[in-house]
Amino acid sequence: MDAKETVMNVLKDITGTDLSDKMDENLFETGLIDSMATVELLLNLQDELGIDVPISEFDRQEWDTPNKIINKVESM
Amino acid sequence: MNLVKQIDDISVKMGNRLVYDYLGDTNTYDDLKKRSDSLAFQIDNLGLSKTTPIIVYGDQTFNTIVAFIACVKSGHAYIPVDEHSSEDRITMIQDVAHAELIIALNDLPVEVPNVKVITSAKLKSIFNHPIDYVMTHPVDGDDNFYIIFTSGTTGKPKGVQISHDNLQSFLDWMDNSFGLPEHAVGLSQTAYSFDLSGMDLYPTLTLGGELQAIPREVTEDFRQLFNTLENLTTNFWVSTPSFVDICLLSKTFNQEHYPELNYFFLCGEELTHSTAERLKKRFPDAHIYNTYGPTEATVAVTAIDITDEILEKYDRLPIGYIKSDSQAWIDVDGEQKFGENGELILCGPTVSKGYLNAPEKTEKSFFVNNGQRAYRTGDVGMQEQDGLLFFAGRKDFQIKMHGFRIELEEIAHYLNQLPQINQGVVVPKYNHDRKVSALIAYVVKQPQLSADDDDLHLTSKLKDALQHELMPYMIPQQFVYRDNLPLNINGKVDINTLIKEVNANG
Repeated sequence: MDAKETVMNVLKDITGTDLSDKMDENLFETGLIDSMATVELLLNLQDELGIDVPISEFDRQEWDTPNKIINKVESM
Repeated sequence: MNLVKQIDDISVKMGNRLVYDYLGDTNTYDDLKKRSDSLAFQIDNLGLSKTTPIIVYGDQTFNTIVAFIACVKSGHAYIPVDEHSSEDRITMIQDVAHAELIIALNDLPVEVPNVKVITSAKLKSIFNHPIDYVMTHPVDGDDNFYIIFTSGTTGKPKGVQISHDNLQSFLDWMDNSFGLPEHAVGLSQTAYSFDLSGMDLYPTLTLGGELQAIPREVTEDFRQLFNTLENLTTNFWVSTPSFVDICLLSKTFNQEHYPELNYFFLCGEELTHSTAERLKKRFPDAHIYNTYGPTEATVAVTAIDITDEILEKYDRLPIGYIKSDSQAWIDVDGEQKFGENGELILCGPTVSKGYLNAPEKTEKSFFVNNGQRAYRTGDVGMQEQDGLLFFAGRKDFQIKMHGFRIELEEIAHYLNQLPQINQGVVVPKYNHDRKVSALIAYVVKQPQLSADDDDLHLTSKLKDALQHELMPYMIPQQFVYRDNLPLNINGKVDINTLIKEVNANG
């Protein structure tokens, strides 16, 4: 599974929503994700892709849409 | 001894010792004493009715707890309302509470009629005029000390009345059963409108300790959060397990970096094996207490130290043993049972006298057992022969999400009042840890909706509308539109079928 597919699956699992037609939707502003859901997102990405996000550098603005999350994940 | 007097005596004795640290902004016990005296004096002079509670509209800053102490010094219970509440929250609470005074640490979001308001500007001037206050009528005995509002099924919130003696019994247990040191340094992270905050605030004050506060804005911004955490010297941690999950994301959240942190008290939602195990690995020498209690029985009434043996022995962790002056039992069709699931009943000196101005709701959930107050929790539990208790879920459709108590029927109530909706219910989505991770609304639209209301726009409209009525955490993340909803044999929407559908892949 590639990074994009994994991210979309994880997001679907957390929000209960298929976001494939909402790739630039702001997940925090729409309330789809809050700080607790962010924790789940990061833990899941760690489990599934083995990527480790340095949490003390976590900037919400860089993670607020599905596209941005995919870019972030692919750059790590 | 009277608790208010005890806190006042400690304040005098501690003098210049720090009592509060809000992101580096510090205050001493002397500040607490002087400010609460001045404010209590002003409250006394307002000529309020003797038993009227006072709404404190506050946040995580020092003056919020000053306001609490001032209220109880002047003989009034306080009702904490957090500034992050929905706009209508304060109006809904006032409809039940009929408070004559609001102390507003921040600007009120709505006009509240027929009530006196002490604004933050007024507070400042009150604090600038110290008064030699002689305390003659603090809350005592069965008087209400605080009243915390939880959600109610009909949309009306329920005000749980906690008396001076309820709180005293809780504190005797907290201060004496866990080995907390004198001058304990506590973490104040949970909002004061959430009764779990009583677990950090009052033990700290009665032990002559210090509270280190983290406001919600910081909790939500992980960069700030971890910068702040690193500067704390807390040894006594109170939070929901969810907040621990956030902190565990940081590799440096461990014993080496937080050598003073020796006591964790986790409450407010189920502590999963996975969270407890990870925390224990990071802090092998700390005591990690899993605690349990409904607001109606004063913060918490059961506890257990989650040791390696307990982790080894149980997949689903126990919530512990009932405090020694109280009883807990499992009721199955009117009989006490061991080893099987039933409703958890609590009885003892921390059980509330009931809901404020709501005798019918009180009657439903509270009763007297051998001369002591008892409360039907609505929680399903199991008890082993030696008294060890386990939590197994809810009897009704009340759920916990991220530590917040949510009644699904209450959300549905507001959903169904929206003009675009014909019928709607709210269903929890569980993650792999059996925790609720999202709320999903299933909705049948009104047939005459205009064509430009496509689902995406409608969802954002509905969310906006709900924001005026509900706390932010109660607003469903997702809306699913259906032509009809499944019904059970009683003709009601069959929520269980929808719960299964939502969680089919989990």
